[in-house]
Amino acid sequence: MSLFSFADDPLTKTYDAIVVGSGATGGWAAKQLSEAGLKVALLEAGRAVTPAEFTEHTPAYKLKYRDHDPEIARTRPIQKQCYACMEYNYTWFVNDLENPYSTPEDKPFTWQRLRVLGGRSLVWGRQSYRLSDNDFKAASRDGYDVDWPISYADLAPFYDIVEKYVGITGAAEGNEMLPDGQFLPPMKMSCGEILLRDKVKAKFGRTVTIGRAAVLTKAQNGRSACHYCGPCERGCRTFSYFSSPFTTVADAQNSGNCTVITNAVVAHVNMDNGSNKATGVTFVDRMTREVKEVRGKAVILCAQALESTRILLNSTTREYPNGLANSSGALGHYLMDHVTGGGAGGELPNMNEKPNANEPDRPNGIYIPRFRNSPSVKKSANFIRGYGYQGSGDAVFNFGAGGYGAVYKNAVKQGHYTIGIGAFGESLARWDNYIEIDKTLKDAWGIPALRISMTHGDNEKALMEDAAAQGAEMLEAAGAINIKMQARTEMPGMAIHELGTARMGNDPKKSVLTPFNQTHDVKNLFVMDGASFVSSACQNPTLTMMAITVRGCAKLIERFKTNDV
Amino acid sequence: MKRREMLRASVLGGAAAALTPGLASAKQGATAKAEEKSELTPAQRGVDASDELKVANWKPVFLDEHQNETLIILSDLIIPATDTPGAKEALVNRYIDLVMAAETHENQKSFLGNLAYIDGESMRKYKNSFRYLSREDQDDLLHSMAYPLAGSTWTGEAAGADPGFTSFEQLKTHIGVAYYTSQIGMKELGRDDNFTHGVYQGCDHAEGSHK
Repeated sequence: MSLFSFADDPLTKTYDAIVVGSGATGGWAAKQLSEAGLKVALLEAGRAVTPAEFTEHTPAYKLKYRDHDPEIARTRPIQKQCYACMEYNYTWFVNDLENPYSTPEDKPFTWQRLRVLGGRSLVWGRQSYRLSDNDFKAASRDGYDVDWPISYADLAPFYDIVEKYVGITGAAEGNEMLPDGQFLPPMKMSCGEILLRDKVKAKFGRTVTIGRAAVLTKAQNGRSACHYCGPCERGCRTFSYFSSPFTTVADAQNSGNCTVITNAVVAHVNMDNGSNKATGVTFVDRMTREVKEVRGKAVILCAQALESTRILLNSTTREYPNGLANSSGALGHYLMDHVTGGGAGGELPNMNEKPNANEPDRPNGIYIPRFRNSPSVKKSANFIRGYGYQGSGDAVFNFGAGGYGAVYKNAVKQGHYTIGIGAFGESLARWDNYIEIDKTLKDAWGIPALRISMTHGDNEKALMEDAAAQGAEMLEAAGAINIKMQARTEMPGMAIHELGTARMGNDPKKSVLTPFNQTHDVKNLFVMDGASFVSSACQNPTLTMMAITVRGCAKLIERFKTNDV
Repeated sequence: MKRREMLRASVLGGAAAALTPGLASAKQGATAKAEEKSELTPAQRGVDASDELKVANWKPVFLDEHQNETLIILSDLIIPATDTPGAKEALVNRYIDLVMAAETHENQKSFLGNLAYIDGESMRKYKNSFRYLSREDQDDLLHSMAYPLAGSTWTGEAAGADPGFTSFEQLKTHIGVAYYTSQIGMKELGRDDNFTHGVYQGCDHAEGSHK
């Protein structure tokens, strides 16, 4: 019967740990745990991705619709709101028809997701910034909501570990709001960006720095330094930007202790009610629709903030009728996403530089760390917290030139020198921004879908208005002309920085997770992703999510050693 | 499939599958693999569509013959051949026809409305469709639409609706996108065939030289 034996069936074993999700945090959990000798099953809802399907070097004219493929509008009307969802790679993004969610009519929310090995780490924006105690202890300073149960000192060693491995290009600045880290050599700034940096420092005393990005400027671990082709979101043959399948997940697999199970759409966590312990997860095979189970001694959800919480909300038992690990009632609440839509743009008239189609394409920009409500400045009158800007300045082709004919054609080529900065603002944690299970809506695998209720409030609106005015003032100081401001408050979800819904805290009555990402209620159940955030700060969150995951795993490994799982 | 292979497949696929659920799922697994493969985008599968518009017997699928001819003339006026090829050679009309065929009804209507607006103005001023006008008249007509209207310098009264400029700008945007994303358009901007051009050098001027 050897022909019919399936001794290697990955579902017959009991693993030490089941990690759900293979993106930035799931990859780290799989790497840390399997390299510590634990047997790990890494579940991913989508398929594996290979470098053969990367399209970063394919010019637009080779695409049938040159990035206007009607198939994207038909199957990914929500996903296409993200710039990275293109004719090149749109099937990496979920099919919106198969992956529905609902919102109240007056509370639109855009939810952009990938279901492939590596998840959003394949297409992420790569900007990587540490939080500081101005963020972790913000409530103590301004009285809004609660502090994080961890401080910067708790997380700093794990930021170090993550940064050294991921490879973060950046420059140290000694800024009070933005701790420095372990940086690879910084990328260069353009002439216009240098001008802005100098004028903003001179007039406002504020920092303009080169972006800190998860892109190698020096080779490491078999990954090459960036070759500046530009569109990282279509994949990278030299693995120069950080994405989990070719780094953390590969390491986990090389350890010999990690089994990757793709096409595993996790429906819920399984519980043993007697011992109040998780026993594993149930998933639906994405392709065959078969319902399967995998068993483990610990279950770690790294599925992305909303997905991890959705799994818990869908894992009701008699003991946990309102969702697993939800004795606090806080599960699903305090949903955050950075507010965007404030900023300014203009032209720098004296740069004497022409656009160059063959210039190396830098996959990074400039960053202006938060300066509002920092310890060294006067408190803002009409808002708390603050925002940081990302931006860039360069000579670009002027497709918007006026007129037509040879005059227009020449004006396009002559180009103009533009500079622009756009803000990401802190999204305050609010109880009434929340997710719940939609009572009727299900996804294509029969799993109950989410209903998302979120709005940005007055504070977020005030931040974006301030970001517009301050942006214009700073560009003006650099001598920009034809300045245009943007003072919008974009729809929640637009930043693709969803955070919260299973916040950590010391008080089990008010929080879902311990400071080490274990659920207060179930000793062997963990959430290690953005769901655990207490506040959003305004820095791009992935670096912090990864550091929190490595910290949580370090604790879990200790507990495995003392048989305390 | 050869008869012998068919027989073998039916034996294994039929009888054996009934015996062991494991094999059934292995078979489903094979189907699943094929489905997975089809999940790649054409670009990810390596499809090169650059020559698709160049077929000899090309016919518009969205535009009618008059609209197509009008668009060819209009696009080549907006982006003419100079020392480099223009919109006509870049087959801008063919690309627009392809994309518009798949557009929403609303966007299709708006595009055709803009083309019709030009013909309407042409009939009003020259009693003929745009495509039949002399080059000089075509130029005069386009210039009447190519720049935005200002308000009154005497009374301060704001400019009213500007449908000519709006129609012109929208058509120009379509034509510009079609041209500058074509291979000819990318060459026009000086882009070579290399996918990388070395390490980004940024500003190499002395500290403080930008004021």
